[in-house]
Amino acid sequence: MGTIIKYARIYRGFINTCISQATSFRLHFFLLIFMDLFFYISSLATVDFIFDYVPMIGPWNRDQFLFFISFMLAIDQLHMTFVSEGFWSFSFELRTGHLDFHLLRPAGTIFSVFFRHIRAGSLLLIFVPWACLIWFGMKIPLDPFAWVLLPCFVIAGLILLVSFELFMTMFVFWTIEVYGINFLRIQFQQLSRWPAFAFKPWPRRIFTFVLPILLIGTPTTGVLLGTSPWYALLYMLAATLILWGLVRWLWLTGLKSYESASS
Amino acid sequence: MSLAVNSAKWTQTMQVAWSNQLVYKLNFLMLVLGPVLVFFFIKYNLWSSIFSMPGVTTIQGYDLASMLEYQVWVMIVALLAQSYNNMKLAEDIRLGRISSYLIYPFGFWQFHTASFFGTQVIQIIVSILTVFAVAAFGFDLNLSLDQTPAAIAFCVLVSLLWFAIAFILGLAAFWLDETWVLRVIFVIIAQFLSGAIVPLEIYPVWFRSFLDYTPFPYMTYVPVKLFMGAYEGHIGTAFAIISFWLTVSVLVATWTWKRGIRMYSGAGM
Repeated sequence: MGTIIKYARIYRGFINTCISQATSFRLHFFLLIFMDLFFYISSLATVDFIFDYVPMIGPWNRDQFLFFISFMLAIDQLHMTFVSEGFWSFSFELRTGHLDFHLLRPAGTIFSVFFRHIRAGSLLLIFVPWACLIWFGMKIPLDPFAWVLLPCFVIAGLILLVSFELFMTMFVFWTIEVYGINFLRIQFQQLSRWPAFAFKPWPRRIFTFVLPILLIGTPTTGVLLGTSPWYALLYMLAATLILWGLVRWLWLTGLKSYESASS
Repeated sequence: MSLAVNSAKWTQTMQVAWSNQLVYKLNFLMLVLGPVLVFFFIKYNLWSSIFSMPGVTTIQGYDLASMLEYQVWVMIVALLAQSYNNMKLAEDIRLGRISSYLIYPFGFWQFHTASFFGTQVIQIIVSILTVFAVAAFGFDLNLSLDQTPAAIAFCVLVSLLWFAIAFILGLAAFWLDETWVLRVIFVIIAQFLSGAIVPLEIYPVWFRSFLDYTPFPYMTYVPVKLFMGAYEGHIGTAFAIISFWLTVSVLVATWTWKRGIRMYSGAGM
């Protein structure tokens, strides 16, 4: 309990710093909001336009598919707000030796490096994907139990996405330059924004069991829509646990090769 | 003599750009692999899935083969045109490094333009290899002998337009602390409105009519259709329009530079 309170206090400090930083650079703050907003509109509009010409994609109709896209946007919104900046700054910390300061702090280094940047602008947009999610959920319509599960599933998807991205980012210890890994990470994000049935069998297996990005949204929305069995969620849980094991191993191995540039 | 010296400066800077691009080999490989990964795993799978639906044989004139061909050329046009990013340019301004360019015999815009050319050489090689790789996987790329030279020339103008826009957005560092967000906004908007995600024929008619008044269709859709030999508009007009937008962008870049340099404080000096 004491540990949770300690980390909650640290996180409150992170939030306060980020809010004062965001309000100091107001134009940047508003540009971030505009960027996220346009991204949501373009993601939903693209699928909506395609459905002008086809009645179904796989087993899903327009509302079900747009519900899935909104679900992924809700995960993306939380990801953009709470973790995405950390993936970009990690390489800088490594190259400049600033990681030393994080290592010396009396708190988990992964927590300190990856969860300290919060985008206050993106936080304001939380209602946009959730409004879409509720709108399309009502059009389907979801049953009452599914509405209760929905927020938990969004959080579970976010945890898996972050676990996968942490796993990828650990390789920066060896590549040093983060741009390529981040570029590839963003391509994987794009892959994850489509349901598993849109993929042919082999890529589907690879992106479910080897690089489990299709487990981020497909099993949970499938359970909510009644198109996937509940035990699909177990794959998601297993993937998250395995990824955390790998992240821990890569982190410890990577630290051994860290040269502490400025020291 | 002057020409030889100038050529040497440009060549040396291009070589520096090559070195910067290739120094982290794994990083470079990932930048090349990213778009190919998206094509094979998203676009190929998604469109195959859509066209496997009963009764769906064509969408707005595209069958599966032509839709995949369209998406391959989107990837190639993106490789050719969108490779340059303005991060170093903005960083130079923000960290006060342009002071060096102000006294060097090779100016700021010359340096960044030469870097852009250097990057382009690598991207051309990557694009050619990608075309061969895609063809080796059995994709039918019906290169049109009539329109391919025009498509290549058009891509040169598109890449210059992207560079000019990236330059303008990078110059915003004179006023803004962070400029990456401007570039990301522009990329998201351009991808959606230029036909890089789906062909513009799939968009509603009213939306396409609106797009005609913007440079976006000329940044992806037109060069792709030229590569496919399926561009139905007047090629000369398309060249005139992209040249117009390029000229406007260069003028805006020049104006922005002049305004920005007046308020440059030489941070860190």
